[in-house]
Amino acid sequence: MAHFETEYQRLEASYSDSPPGEENLLMHVPEGSKSQWHHIENLDLFFQRVYNLHQKNGFTCMLLGEIFELVQLLFVVGFTVFLANCVDYDVLFANKFVNHTDSSKVTLPDAILPMDVCSAHIRDNTFVIFLLIISGVFWLHRLVKFLYNVCCYWEIRSFYINALKMTMSELPYVTWQEVQARIIEIQKEHQICIHKKELTELDIYHRILRFKNYMVAMVNKSLLPVRFRLPALGDSVFYTRGLKYNFELIFFWGPGSLFENEWSLKPEYKRGGNRLELADRLASRILWIGVANLLLCPVILVWQILYAFFSYTEVIKREPGSLGARCWSLYGRCYLRHFNELDHELMSRLSKGYKAASKYMNCFLSPLLTVVAKNVAFFAGSLLAVLIALTIYDEDVLAVEHVLSSITLLGVCITVCRSFIPDKHMVFCPEQLLRVILAHIHYMPDHWQGNAHRYETRDQFSQLFQYKAVFILEELLSPVVTPIILIFCLRRKSLEIIDFFRNFTVEVVGVGDTCSFAQMDVRQHGHPAWMSEGKTEASIYQQAEDGKTELSLMHFAITNPHWQPPRETTHFISQLKERVHREAAGASSDTHPLSLSESEPRSLVANILAGPSTLASVHFACDSSLTNSGVPEMPGGAAALRSLSPISGSLHLRGSLSAAHRASGFTGRTMTGSGTDARTVSSGSSAWEGQLTSLVLSEYASTEMSIHALYMHELHKQQSRGDLSRHTWHRQESDESSDSIPDEVRSEPNARSRHVPRSHTFPTTLTSPGAGSASAASGTAAGRDGAGPQSSSQRRHSGPAADPFGAGAAKVVRTPLVPMGGWAEDGKASSRHQEPLQEETSEDELPPHIQKVT
Amino acid sequence: MNCRSEVLEVTVEARQVEEAMLALLHTILLHRSTGKFHYKKEGTYSIGTVGTQDIDCDFIDFTFVRVSSEELDRVIRKAVSEFKDALSSDGMGQISLEFYQKKKSRWPFSDECIPWEVWSIKVNMVNLANEQERQICREKVGEKLGDKVINVVEVINRHEYLPKMPTQSEVDNVFDTSLKDVQPYLYKITYQITDSLGTSVSTTMRRLIKDTLAL
Repeated sequence: MAHFETEYQRLEASYSDSPPGEENLLMHVPEGSKSQWHHIENLDLFFQRVYNLHQKNGFTCMLLGEIFELVQLLFVVGFTVFLANCVDYDVLFANKFVNHTDSSKVTLPDAILPMDVCSAHIRDNTFVIFLLIISGVFWLHRLVKFLYNVCCYWEIRSFYINALKMTMSELPYVTWQEVQARIIEIQKEHQICIHKKELTELDIYHRILRFKNYMVAMVNKSLLPVRFRLPALGDSVFYTRGLKYNFELIFFWGPGSLFENEWSLKPEYKRGGNRLELADRLASRILWIGVANLLLCPVILVWQILYAFFSYTEVIKREPGSLGARCWSLYGRCYLRHFNELDHELMSRLSKGYKAASKYMNCFLSPLLTVVAKNVAFFAGSLLAVLIALTIYDEDVLAVEHVLSSITLLGVCITVCRSFIPDKHMVFCPEQLLRVILAHIHYMPDHWQGNAHRYETRDQFSQLFQYKAVFILEELLSPVVTPIILIFCLRRKSLEIIDFFRNFTVEVVGVGDTCSFAQMDVRQHGHPAWMSEGKTEASIYQQAEDGKTELSLMHFAITNPHWQPPRETTHFISQLKERVHREAAGASSDTHPLSLSESEPRSLVANILAGPSTLASVHFACDSSLTNSGVPEMPGGAAALRSLSPISGSLHLRGSLSAAHRASGFTGRTMTGSGTDARTVSSGSSAWEGQLTSLVLSEYASTEMSIHALYMHELHKQQSRGDLSRHTWHRQESDESSDSIPDEVRSEPNARSRHVPRSHTFPTTLTSPGAGSASAASGTAAGRDGAGPQSSSQRRHSGPAADPFGAGAAKVVRTPLVPMGGWAEDGKASSRHQEPLQEETSEDELPPHIQKVT
Repeated sequence: MNCRSEVLEVTVEARQVEEAMLALLHTILLHRSTGKFHYKKEGTYSIGTVGTQDIDCDFIDFTFVRVSSEELDRVIRKAVSEFKDALSSDGMGQISLEFYQKKKSRWPFSDECIPWEVWSIKVNMVNLANEQERQICREKVGEKLGDKVINVVEVINRHEYLPKMPTQSEVDNVFDTSLKDVQPYLYKITYQITDSLGTSVSTTMRRLIKDTLAL
């Protein structure tokens, strides 16, 4: 056994136990987190900040703005205190003589009290000290917030630079749609949101606008107490920033609010079980907040006055007319806002409508005031002329006491008067103006159409579009009125509010709790009178008023062409788009507009586009050259615009609008291409985007939206002609104004109303929702509708699956297919809801009319 | 709320609470743990091994698998026994296991802990009258737990967000490296107790006052 040969060998053991044989080990390479942007905790806040930074045009602009605001605050307080305590007014008014050795001139420093006297003044005055302390605290709070903001936005800034690859300097020239597209792009890489692989546009909108959507929905369902019947002023709306702040405090983020955090409603509010108890709790919270408001009222009031004084006096002095100018009221902004509409979109829409709206409001200058104003202006003008002439002759006149001030005052007086005197060469057509306004603002109560020349309509419109002076006044009154509204009006609604939040909150994966209206689901919240008949399963309580769901959906789909909606929604959108485009095409083939008599049935879009003037021929002619071409025809559209403008004269607003419609019409046509599916639409438009910047696209999107809005309103009007319309404007009381108009339109004493061209293409001007002429009108409407595209009426009879668009127009009397689900499933036995509940159920057989939401 | 949340609900007798909780928490942690990372200098790493261990329950007909790490077990046991003590005889409670990630932030702010997955286990306690019922309960709870475990595995098998594997410097932001034999994702165990009566009148009143004074 000397040498035993064997295969077996002793293992060259390496007894290092862990890890054995490093070279054979499975090695991993860590990915690391290259960016810090994965998995962001509070996406709501994050997206809001991203949006804000974009809207504020980058970090530097924002920083500067905020710093100046802080300085301004200091200045306001400091300067006020200084004016009140440290100025010797006797010296200024020359009631007291100053002894000067060298010269006899009084200088400004003479009027300023020395330091010690000044501080003694302040020390003696407890009110001033109180004021100083309050504002000091407020300022410190702002400062801390500012510092915090700087840190947060610095992070957002680096997000823009590192993740989105956009520099701050180019940010002002980048549209939000582009930013959004980038965000969606980088989600794939960084996973900002961990729930989904991909974000959609709607997710981002939902997160940014979560609470705003709730507010819009609440205003839409008339839940918030912002309309009041006052004994002297009649119907009025009171909705100020202070009130809005309080609402948000109560519902969304204040202590003990309904929301647990930014993204979820507290679980107890989602269950119907103890709604009464929750309502009590909410009511007591509202009471407390109201009381707190009352206690803080003096502070807020002083603040408001100071702020208004410093921010507006300069403007008023410079151009006194600005007080007579109008602005969209806060309520208007809420009423007119689509679901899922960002601030800048809303603002651009409203700004476009501004000119037409102020023109419209100017139609209603009171003739009495005009006469008075003319004469006052005459006298004031002559005085002013004399004074100025004298001054020119010898400027010593200015040194005479009060001459300068009277010149200033007379000037102001004349400017004010002039705003009451209408332009002689202006011809007003309220009905058309209202239509132009509608093209931009997209919402309007039914009974306005056809009643545009009525004073009631004007009054109601002025609630949306108020005088700036009124706006400022309301803001000043707000600290006093807000607690009253909170304590006496909002508190009573607590149960409804609780119900609202329970019924209309849905949890969306990856987004959290959102307002279900904001889902823009036609099936759940569609209104049968707004093209979603047959599709909607909503009870009256669930339907959004004024076609808000449908219009919002269209708006969102048009502004975000890449968005891929759920299937049924896609169907709805593509159907509507197809209809609009087909009718637009039908309208353009109608080459000779003069042949269009009232008897000749016409399509809706032609109706919208043609208007009463012969302008139609111009733009239809233009159009026929445009129809078969694609993008290169862009200058053609512009040419159409240009060719229209000189002819149109006083109607140029309308003319340009319809020219814009043409442009948008062919935009649409190129977009739809051959297919009708929204997916092909979006792909078509992305091809488009390659050639044009997205800014251009969004500009055309807004005109396209205008045409859709007009179309939907027109269709809605025809559809609801047979019914008693369901007013959302004043749901508290029936609307008397719209019932009584039919025939006295002609005999109206108002001279201006005769200027309104009563075109046959606008049946509304002849008829009204009133019963008398309704049947005839709907007859023509039916004819018109039937002749448009090979239409709906037959298809309607063929089955429920058929196209439900505008089907109602074909029948004069129809029974609405409103599913009466009642108000909500659970626990509606409360006494407060008894009334509306009964009303709803009793309406089962009737067409829906004025809905009462008490 | 950029995080997933899963809810599990169990109904158990008082003496089963501890074991049931341990079973569920350990099951989840088993799938959310890895072996220790050994970093090499070229930016690669190898993963150590993790042993598993079967645990039989005394009061439930159930056996579960856990990571064989005494240290981890001790930590979990401590949390669970605190929870058990806080739970009154027939109350409801909720214990949640939250996985999070740390994010370093600049000086004035402390590090953020951002959760990415939260498991909430709701516990319903029942009192049983006699031994026979206990016997039935023993089996039933065992079955239930088995379902839950399958549930957990299903959720974990889905392809969803997990923090990316960190580099050496960042390993503390993702993994809990304090244990020497196993390395779970950073986690936190919290619990809350709710009265079975939920909101009695007195608590409502108290809360109401507290809420309203919290202006």
